[in-house]
Amino acid sequence: MTSWGYSISRPRSIDIDRNDMSYSKELLREYPELQTCIACGNCTAACTAANFTSFSLRKVHTLVRRGEYQGMAEELEKCMLCGKCRLACPRGINTRQIVLTIKKHLANRSR
Amino acid sequence: MEHFRLFVLPFYAGAIFLLITLLFKYIYWFVGLSREQKRLFWRSLPTRATWKSILEIINESLLHRKIWRTNPLLGYMHTSFALGWFLLITVGWIETYVYFKGEGVPLYVDIFFSYYVHPIFERAFNFSLIKDALLLLILIGVGLALFKRIRSRVMGMKRTTKHMLGDRIALTALWLIFPARLLAESLTSAEVWRFGGYVWTLSENTQLIPPGIGCGSFLTGSLGQWLANFLPARIIEAQHIELGAWWIYSIALGVFFIALPFSRYMHIFTEMPLIFLRNAGLRASEKETTYDRFQIDACSRCGICIDPCQLQSGADIQGVQAVYFLRDRRYGRLTDAVADNCLMCGRCQQACPVGIEQNTLRLNSRAKRAYPDAPNRYAYIQGKDPSTGEGKVGYFAGCMTLLTPRILLAMEQIFAAAHETVWWADKNGGVCCGRPLKLAGEVDAARKMMNFNKELFQKHGITTLVTSCPICLKVFKEDYQLEGIEVLHHSEYIQRLLAEGRLHLHAGSETFTYHDPCELGRGGGIYDAPREVIAALGILKEPAETREHALCCGSSIANTAIDDEGQRRISGQVATALAATGATSIVTACPLCKKGIAREATIPVYDLAEIVARAI
Repeated sequence: MTSWGYSISRPRSIDIDRNDMSYSKELLREYPELQTCIACGNCTAACTAANFTSFSLRKVHTLVRRGEYQGMAEELEKCMLCGKCRLACPRGINTRQIVLTIKKHLANRSR
Repeated sequence: MEHFRLFVLPFYAGAIFLLITLLFKYIYWFVGLSREQKRLFWRSLPTRATWKSILEIINESLLHRKIWRTNPLLGYMHTSFALGWFLLITVGWIETYVYFKGEGVPLYVDIFFSYYVHPIFERAFNFSLIKDALLLLILIGVGLALFKRIRSRVMGMKRTTKHMLGDRIALTALWLIFPARLLAESLTSAEVWRFGGYVWTLSENTQLIPPGIGCGSFLTGSLGQWLANFLPARIIEAQHIELGAWWIYSIALGVFFIALPFSRYMHIFTEMPLIFLRNAGLRASEKETTYDRFQIDACSRCGICIDPCQLQSGADIQGVQAVYFLRDRRYGRLTDAVADNCLMCGRCQQACPVGIEQNTLRLNSRAKRAYPDAPNRYAYIQGKDPSTGEGKVGYFAGCMTLLTPRILLAMEQIFAAAHETVWWADKNGGVCCGRPLKLAGEVDAARKMMNFNKELFQKHGITTLVTSCPICLKVFKEDYQLEGIEVLHHSEYIQRLLAEGRLHLHAGSETFTYHDPCELGRGGGIYDAPREVIAALGILKEPAETREHALCCGSSIANTAIDDEGQRRISGQVATALAATGATSIVTACPLCKKGIAREATIPVYDLAEIVARAI
C-alpha cells in the first residue's frame, strides 16, 4: 500500500477519550456558567500578570476543561488575583473564583 | 441550714457551672495571646485606658447607648434586660446586707430573698419598691422582646436573626426568669396575706406578721393580695403552687446559666474583657489570634448587621451576614461559601453595637485556609521595573485604573495643568498592589507584591505617592510602611492643588451626586476631599444614604463568591439610589465603583479626575 504520510502524530494529538474528564465535569457542575465561555481571550488581554510572564487564563481554562491538568496549579500560581479579567469578561464569569477553585482542587489532587 | 430548700439547687448548679466555664474560657484565651498583646494589656492597666473601659462598659454593656441610636424601643429592650437585671441583683445584695446588718448569710437567701425574709408590704419607699419597679422595667422589656418576634419592623429591624436550637433554649429560659420571679414572689405574698407569716431575722425571735398585710411592694404585693382573694385558701395553705413557682424560677436561672456559655448570651460577660483588651490597643490581624475569640463570643447575634447588608437587601443572599459568619466560625462550622460571600464594604461593622472587626475577622478566616506559598511564586517579577518618567511625585494607577483609561488620561491632564513632573509607577502595566490577594486570604503571596512595589517606590526616591484607586490607597497606608513617602488619594491631591492655586477650574451649574467608595470612606475615612473638589465644579446632591452609611457598588474584589447577577442587582440598587437625587451625573472616586455602577446606571458615571480634567 502506498504510504501518503498522513498519520496521527501521537505527541501532537489531543485524545479527549483518553483524558481524565472527572474534574472537568465537576468544575462544570459547580460553575455551569463556564459553558458560556467563548474563549475570546479578553481575560488574558486584560491580565496584569501577563505583562510580565506568559500566563493565560484562557489557555488554562481550555486545558482544564479538556482534562489536561498537568502543571495547571503551578501555572495559576502566577495569577495576581487583581480581578481585571472578571471585569473584562463579556460573559460575566466569576474568573477569580474559578482561579481559586481550580487551584485549590488541583493542589488537593496532587497531595 | 434549717432554712435550706431543695429548689435552690438548680440555681447553684447553673451558677457554679457558669463561673467555672467563663473562667476557663477567658484564661485559656488570654494565655493564648501573643507576648506583645499581653504586654499591651498589662501596660494599659495603670493608664487612662482603664477608666475609659469602665465608662464604656457602663455605656455599652449596661446602657446600650449605641442601640438606642439605632432605635429607641430596641434600645429600651436591651437596656431593660442588662441594666434592669444588673440593678435588681445589686439592689438585692445591698438589701440583704442592710437587712442582716452585714452578717453573712448563705447566698440563696440573697437570691431568693422574698421567699426567706418576707419583707412587709408597706406604703413607703423601700427596697421592695425599688425591686418591684426594676422587675416591672424588665417585664416590659420581655414583652417588647416577644413583640419583636411578631413585628420586628416596629423596632427598626426589617430582618432578625434566625436562631439555632441552643439559642432558643437559652432565650426561653431568659424570658421565663422574670415572669417566674413575679409569680413566685406574688404567691409568697399571697400566702402571707392570707395566713400571716414571719419576718425572718438573725435572732431567734422572728417577728410575726398578722394576716391581711402581705409582703413585697406595689407589684408583687398587689398581685399577691389579688391571688390571695382569687385562689382557694387550701391551695395557698398547701404551698405547692408557691414552691412550684420558686422551683420554676430556680430552674429557669439554672438552665439559662448552663446554656449561657454555649449560646449568644456569652456576649453578656465577654463584652467586658473585650472592651478592656480593645482599649489596651489590641486589634484583630490578618492571622488568627485568641483575641479573635473575645470578639466572636462578644457577638450577641442581635442581627442589627443584617439590614445594612446589601447582599441581603440587594441580591437576596441569606445566611452569610456578619452574624451568621461569626456564629459559624464560633462553632467551627464555617464554610467557604459563607467566608467568601462578603463584599467587606464595612456597613455591618459600621452598624455593629459591639464594634466587632467583621472585615478583619473574615479576612483571617480566609487566610487560615490558604495554602503555604511556594517560595518561587512570582519569581517572574523580580528585577523588573515597569515605571517611566522621573519626579518626586509618583503616580500609581493600579490595575483598575489601567482598565479605565479615561481616568488615567484625566490624571495626565491634571498633572500637566499643575506643571507637576511625575514618576509613573505602572502606566504601561505594573504589579498589583497586593490587596486583592490579601482579601482573598493569600496574605503571604500579597506580601511579595507589596515588597516589590515598596522597593520600586524607594528606588525612585519619590516623596509623594498619588493613587486614583482606593483599594491600592488602603493597602499602601496600612501594609506598606512607606516611611518618608506621603500617600495621597487623587481626591486629596486635587484638593491640595486647588487650595495651593496650582489648578484653576471653571465652575459650572451642573449637578453631581457623589458615591462614597467603601475602601475610601469607611475604609480610609476620606469623605470631605472629594466633596470639596466637586463643590468647586458644580452643585453636589447627596444621596439618602451617604458618607459612613453609603451603599456599596457591589463589584468589591473582596467577594469572590458572588455571581454576575448578584453584582448587577447591587449595582442597580446603588445606581437607583444615586439617580434619585435628581443629579445629572454620578461622580465617584474609585475606578472599580465607576465600572460597577456604570453597568446599571441610567445617567453618566464619572471618576472625580474626569470631571476635574474636563473643567481645566
